Amino acid sequence: MNIFLREVKSNFKSLLIWGVIVVLFISVGFSKFSAYADNPEMLAILDNLPPALLEAFNFDAFNLTTVTGFFGVMFSYFALLLSISAAMWGSDVISKEERDKTVEFALTLPVPRSRLVTAKTLAALVNCIGLNLITYGAILYSVGQYTPDADFYNFLSIGMLALFFMQLIFLAIGIFLGAAMKQYKRASSVAVSLLLGTYFLSILSDLNQDFEFIKYISPFKYFNPALILRDSGLDMNYVWLSLAIIVICIAGAHFTYSRRDLYI
Amino acid sequence: MNIFLQEFKMNFKSVVTWSLSIAVFIMFYMGVYPTFAADAELINEMMANFPPELLMAFGMDQTDLSTVLGFFSFIFVLCQVMLAIQAANYGFSILSVEERDLTADFLLAKPVRRSRILTSKLLAALTGLTITNAVVWISSFTAVNLFRGERTFETQPFILLLLSIAVFQLVFLALGMFISLLVKKVRNVTPYSMGLAFGMYVLSAFGDMLGDAKLELITPFKHFEPHFIVNNGNYDLPLAYLSVSFIVVAIVGSYVLYSKRNIASAV
Repeated sequence: MNIFLREVKSNFKSLLIWGVIVVLFISVGFSKFSAYADNPEMLAILDNLPPALLEAFNFDAFNLTTVTGFFGVMFSYFALLLSISAAMWGSDVISKEERDKTVEFALTLPVPRSRLVTAKTLAALVNCIGLNLITYGAILYSVGQYTPDADFYNFLSIGMLALFFMQLIFLAIGIFLGAAMKQYKRASSVAVSLLLGTYFLSILSDLNQDFEFIKYISPFKYFNPALILRDSGLDMNYVWLSLAIIVICIAGAHFTYSRRDLYI
Repeated sequence: MNIFLQEFKMNFKSVVTWSLSIAVFIMFYMGVYPTFAADAELINEMMANFPPELLMAFGMDQTDLSTVLGFFSFIFVLCQVMLAIQAANYGFSILSVEERDLTADFLLAKPVRRSRILTSKLLAALTGLTITNAVVWISSFTAVNLFRGERTFETQPFILLLLSIAVFQLVFLALGMFISLLVKKVRNVTPYSMGLAFGMYVLSAFGDMLGDAKLELITPFKHFEPHFIVNNGNYDLPLAYLSVSFIVVAIVGSYVLYSKRNIASAV
């Protein structure tokens, strides 16, 4: 419990910084959105288009004249921001002890190593939940003036849940790398290159049909806002896949860290 | 000279890794181009019939991706992201790493002025970045000529794109170094460099999506925006000068700050 509390306290500043970034990002986004919202010219044109065409383009999910479409478009940016923060926290929380040369002290405490990993994981999890809630709250606050319908709130909360899964995936990967990498200095750069790699792969799969299989490799492809809106739910296959990745990474972190040779 | 060589040697492995991964990235993405271009031409024909407002509402009113340069400018943005992260990484670590590893007092006890140390380190980082730059040039030329097939492209905007890399790298290197001197201690370089490079990228990508605004003008990604260079065959000069002034301010500021900096020592 002490380790957990200490960790939460030392991570708090980072959470605040990320929170400010996300809130800034959302307020800039909504100030731009105000130019699009209910733009009469655009609405008039949309009314004249055949519904089948709009359907084909998943129009509801990406229509910038509504808050729903706005969130659909913003989803991928939120995904990037939130997963970067999660990967950073995950890879840093364990490896920082070695970097700051405090690991000997931490490990002489009368706690098994796996308890240490658990406490640190939970503390990083608190940060992820915090940032997710900050994002959620800031969006809820900003959409108030556009009086969205119940469908939007439903879409938003499922979307935030999807983002939370992505955070957890990158958090777990980060923690695993922090615990398993021999060179602790590399943990965060490897975590970041994984994140960038999967992000770029997800862009590649949009360009070419041959790369369909990427949708299983890149977490950025697991949850598609268009499908979330259509089914008003998450694709359970990917939920299970995400959970599997998370469980394997966390178990791997416990396993490797308890037999780790420390760099002092 | 010794400091330069030592610094360059320390960076060399990372330079090779970055250069190789960017080269592989360019080859791989350009390799998708032939099949993509065929599809994209069909989509373009279809989209030509849509009202422009609809395309705008979807953010699809941008560069034509079926042309060689259109596609290249699209992957060049992602290339810029990687170059920015690399340069920011070097910038943030260049001076802070000595303090973190407690080797700064050893280095500063040498009979060399601080400004000399800074110059040597800066030149070493620049050499590394220039190697990466050269690799990007070579692999871009190879990839484009390998995969363009029958399609032709204008050389001038292409060269302009590649020429912009040097200034682009220097902005992130200089800004990174300057910020690392403004803060008390850089514990871990990655969050800083990711924050700077990715933050700037998201800001500019976001601006593309939702039309013009003032805030985006601070990001170097906007100063050398590939779409603009390809469409106009020229740089957006006022913005490019903004980048240059960032570099000057950050480097001069770094010399001033570093020569006065209070350095933490081991004992």
